[in-house]
Amino acid sequence: MTERRLDITFGGVADTRGAETVPVSSRWQRSEPAVLGVLGILVILLLWEAVPYVVTMKAGTKLFFTPPSQVAETLWTLFASGVIWAPLGVSAAGFAIGLGIAIVIALPLGILIGRSETLNALFDPFITAFNATPRLVFLPLVLLWFGLGLWSKVVIVAFGAIFPLLINTHEGIRNADRLLINVVRSFGAREWDVVRIVVVPNALPYILTGLRLAIGRAVLGVVVSEFFGSDQGLGVMMVQAASQYKVNIVFAGMIVFMTLSLAMTSLVKLLESRLGRWRPQRAASE
Amino acid sequence: MTDATVPRPGFAWLSRKMAFGCVAVACFFIAWQAVFLFIPFNSLFITKPSLMFAALWRLTVSGQLFYDLGASALPFVCGLIAAVIIGVPLGILMGWRVRVGMTLDPLMTALYASPLVALAPLVVIFLGVGIAGKAFIVFLLTVFDFVFNAYAGVRSVDPLLLNVVRSFGGGEKDLYVKVIFPSVIPYIVAGARIGVGRALVGVLVGEFFAASEGVGYGIVRFGNFFALDSMFAYILVVTVLAVLLTQGIRWAERAAFPWRIGQ
Repeated sequence: MTERRLDITFGGVADTRGAETVPVSSRWQRSEPAVLGVLGILVILLLWEAVPYVVTMKAGTKLFFTPPSQVAETLWTLFASGVIWAPLGVSAAGFAIGLGIAIVIALPLGILIGRSETLNALFDPFITAFNATPRLVFLPLVLLWFGLGLWSKVVIVAFGAIFPLLINTHEGIRNADRLLINVVRSFGAREWDVVRIVVVPNALPYILTGLRLAIGRAVLGVVVSEFFGSDQGLGVMMVQAASQYKVNIVFAGMIVFMTLSLAMTSLVKLLESRLGRWRPQRAASE
Repeated sequence: MTDATVPRPGFAWLSRKMAFGCVAVACFFIAWQAVFLFIPFNSLFITKPSLMFAALWRLTVSGQLFYDLGASALPFVCGLIAAVIIGVPLGILMGWRVRVGMTLDPLMTALYASPLVALAPLVVIFLGVGIAGKAFIVFLLTVFDFVFNAYAGVRSVDPLLLNVVRSFGGGEKDLYVKVIFPSVIPYIVAGARIGVGRALVGVLVGEFFAASEGVGYGIVRFGNFFALDSMFAYILVVTVLAVLLTQGIRWAERAAFPWRIGQ
């Protein structure tokens, strides 16, 4: 029965009422999640690999099926032959410029609307509307305005990444401690000083959370914009591969996107937990 | 979190905020319309609000809008329902059976983080451009929202409640019915709020790739014809629908689970 108890295994989520009953954890208990997690992934991969040996597929289905070993081989070939670097570079450029633009716009705007209720009231309907709308809906329009190529991609990426950053910055700025602001004011600080000394440092963890969400959306933006309107990039490579039934390349591309996305997100997460160690865990607002 | 420091906004302030918002939206449309008094208007690249609303009216009257909306709604709903049916039990299982959770967590996290939209071309080739393909893309994009929210929901179950049910002789079934399921529901609704946005993306991706009907197809087709007024009308419809869906769920959350406000 103890296996089903929820209060022990999940530190952080369940409360600590059961904490005193927790036995001293052995090395196995501490490493169990990691071991089981790796095993889970391995089992899935093995099952996937075993499918063709167990089931006989029709020729049509075979076109869409590829075992993980083949995907790994393709991935290796792509990197070893250097074919992947050019499209990856194009995608990375679109990602970086778009995210940069999003940061440059979102942070000052977030601080402004966080400090001024009037500006907030004015901007709120637009932020709500554009945040709820899938950015994809503007893609045909953006293609019309900016053409195929880098700049459409940049616009889509920036448009997607702005909102999580903006909303989280705003949230962080608004949550600044009134007491601290009043103290700084009493010592003669102006609005600029208040923002610089109290408000922005307080908002930093929120901004990082926003950045983490923004990275996810930016990667999504790169993929989507390259699927529908671009001449170069990893997404273009994947779409072309899909239309030629080169399923290996599609999966390889997805693994590259996944790895990059995970790496960047966990980097920001690390930064987040370092900077926000004193703060209770907050649910990130998508 | 900082309830003590942020005063609760009063009714006067809320209505003022609403008024400000309406004024801002009105100003936006007026400015958009007015810009073309000063710069030349090229109907190939931009449209005016007046033309946009005229197109919206035209499309509504002709029934085209409802036809496309219906075509998009079916895969949207089917995909979401499939995601709930598969995602929620999986999430509950992961949360309840600790070892299952440990085993599947990294896999699910990796899949959740990966841009699954990237599989869309394969899905479209494999399942075709009809309802099945679109619904499957919607399912792929939303199922993890439900898995992770149900997972978090089970993990947040108060162990005290479980023990109370057990002390009064409740069995496994009672635990599910009386404790776990009720505490998971708010999380599922929160998952639905996030999932709805992603489901819209899924429908649009499916329709952008290849379709013969639907809102996303309409936007692309109008774009190809340079019929920007109709295109903007459809974009406006999608925007309004997206806001209504997300805010609607948020409102329902507040009404049904008032104790969860701010989470």
